[in-house]
Amino acid sequence: MVGFLQACMDGLLIGALYALIGMGLALIFGVMRIVNFAHGAFLMVGMYATWLLFDRLNLNPYFGFMPAGVLLFALGYLVYKLLIQPIRERSDFMQILMTTGIALILVDTAQLSFGADYHQANIELVSRSLHFGPFVMNAASGVSFAIAAVFIIGLQLYVFRTRTGQALRAIAQNRDVAPLMGINVTRIQGLSFALGLAYAGIAGGLLLPALYLFPSVGDDYTLKAFVIVVLGGMGSIEGAAIGGLVLGVAESITSLYLGNQWALAVDFLLFILVLSLKPSGIFGRQRA
Amino acid sequence: MRFKSLVVLISVVSLFASIPGARAADNTVKIGVITSITGSQAAFGEAHKNGYLVALDEINAKGGILGKKLELDFYDDQSRPDQAVQGVSKLVDQDHVVMLLGAYSSENTKAIINPVTMHHIPLLIPTATADNVMDSKSPWIFRICAGAAAYAKVWIDFLKKNGAPKTMAIVYEKTNFGQANMQAMKQAAQAAGINVVALEEYEAKAPDYRAVLRRVKEKNPDVIYFCSYLLDATTLMRQSQEVDLNPRYYTAAGTGFSAAEFPTAKGAGKNAEYTLSVSQWLPEASWPGSKEFDAAYFKRTGTHPAYHAMQAYQSLQTAAHAINNAKSLDAAKIRDAIKNINLKMTPFGPVKFDATGQNQHPVLITQVQGGKYRVVFPADAADAKPIIPAPKWSERH
Repeated sequence: MVGFLQACMDGLLIGALYALIGMGLALIFGVMRIVNFAHGAFLMVGMYATWLLFDRLNLNPYFGFMPAGVLLFALGYLVYKLLIQPIRERSDFMQILMTTGIALILVDTAQLSFGADYHQANIELVSRSLHFGPFVMNAASGVSFAIAAVFIIGLQLYVFRTRTGQALRAIAQNRDVAPLMGINVTRIQGLSFALGLAYAGIAGGLLLPALYLFPSVGDDYTLKAFVIVVLGGMGSIEGAAIGGLVLGVAESITSLYLGNQWALAVDFLLFILVLSLKPSGIFGRQRA
Repeated sequence: MRFKSLVVLISVVSLFASIPGARAADNTVKIGVITSITGSQAAFGEAHKNGYLVALDEINAKGGILGKKLELDFYDDQSRPDQAVQGVSKLVDQDHVVMLLGAYSSENTKAIINPVTMHHIPLLIPTATADNVMDSKSPWIFRICAGAAAYAKVWIDFLKKNGAPKTMAIVYEKTNFGQANMQAMKQAAQAAGINVVALEEYEAKAPDYRAVLRRVKEKNPDVIYFCSYLLDATTLMRQSQEVDLNPRYYTAAGTGFSAAEFPTAKGAGKNAEYTLSVSQWLPEASWPGSKEFDAAYFKRTGTHPAYHAMQAYQSLQTAAHAINNAKSLDAAKIRDAIKNINLKMTPFGPVKFDATGQNQHPVLITQVQGGKYRVVFPADAADAKPIIPAPKWSERH
């Protein structure tokens, strides 16, 4: 039982970061109906930014993730204006090609600039652990969980409590009617794309101390982000938050009972199960 | 029409003309090296490269090979087997190297065995420990390092003489290196009456091993045997401390646990303390030339070498010897010269290949003590006594 609870806790700790990744993707999908195949690549950019700040300026990743998030926000807005907006009204296929192309360029640029070498941000905190009775928590995971929780709740409040958030939801509900209500769709879409990428960047920065960094590190996370968004119900931001936590716990429990080699397989098992049994997602409501 | 066929004719002729001409005209001898300069195994690729370069300088300082300057043609396989395979074609078909050295990992080496055999070019393997790289019985394949079965054998000898533990858990990464070493150890342990209570495979890309280590902890084995590369070795030790896993023996199949970085702050730091691992060579080894190699390597890199660098160094030295003995750059003649090579004493010990192409190399056991690798077995090579059991994490400072 202790083992089970411990696995759940470890799962929640990493799940909060998955939630950030999933929420970013859900935000972009909800408001723009664009499936961002470059999500993991942008996460990788966030990781490199955080790592560079750590490596060159000795800035702790738990502060470095903030400039990385800001950078990704700016990059996101730029990418939206230059590349996404012109094809906004084109077919889904064009959008898939565009985002996949962006991902390839980002990964290869990283490889050209930094090589295919693995990097690790060795900080003191990663080898500290906190004990609560029979349970152990890695100090770094605890910090990243707390930061992630703030951002998860922050986005939630932003979307449900502010006027911009209301506009965002209006576009998600009906993109044709929203402009008739005086909403500037271009501006809001640009904002949500930028915000979605900022969340990928923040997640990347927070993942850095626990992970190794290399140019194609994001690939797995693009896939994970899809699984999370599907679990939570396509485009539902609160659903993606829960989907991320569920995925984290599912991986951790699988790892404990079946072995580490099955942990990645469970992602796709969940994906297939949800798509075939409840395509609207476990927490999703059916959308028109 | 006539013009077109003329162009085709000229290109075909020049193509054929260029092949035999390329080697003879040069004043250099080119040997191809496939290794992992970048990617997950870059730390070992870097060690390889520097080992080769030390040997290259020595050989050229002594007048090169067959009176010609020796040149190395490096191909970076990016730690990926498909790239290693491409490297064979690139080095042999385009660059016309006379023989090949490499790759670094067992996975990538296994991948190039068939392409090498098909190209009829000799390959000398410096570091791949999975024994299946020698399975093909190809006459073109030679290996200078000891393999997984030799590792398992020396571990069993060591454990029998040092407390005779009863149970073992094997934790291994899921490519050729990890799987082959797990198999070899599993068989050897069972034959010696050690009960293997857990076999845990892991994906080196998913760096959360806590669940794996907790599963091992539940089985409470006397010995844990890791088959790991460097980044996973570092993380495994950090997380072993976190989950408070306390076997009496932390043991490993070399590689990550024997890398020069592992006991330093760049690696596992103080979590590396008391880990036992196999080694094929250390700077302190008694073979003549070891100290000189250590000094030359240190001059070049500012760090001391681990055995991977030495194996690269000795592979190139052996290749140079063989080509000099062959007195020819013909692939079959070089192959036969490697087959007949008999170096009584090198910095890596004696080098002589048996009928299968395997060099019989002794294996040492080391322990990290005070942030340094010390040889603890066999007794005639030891410079320290093993500390057993490894102190519990709660009792370490």
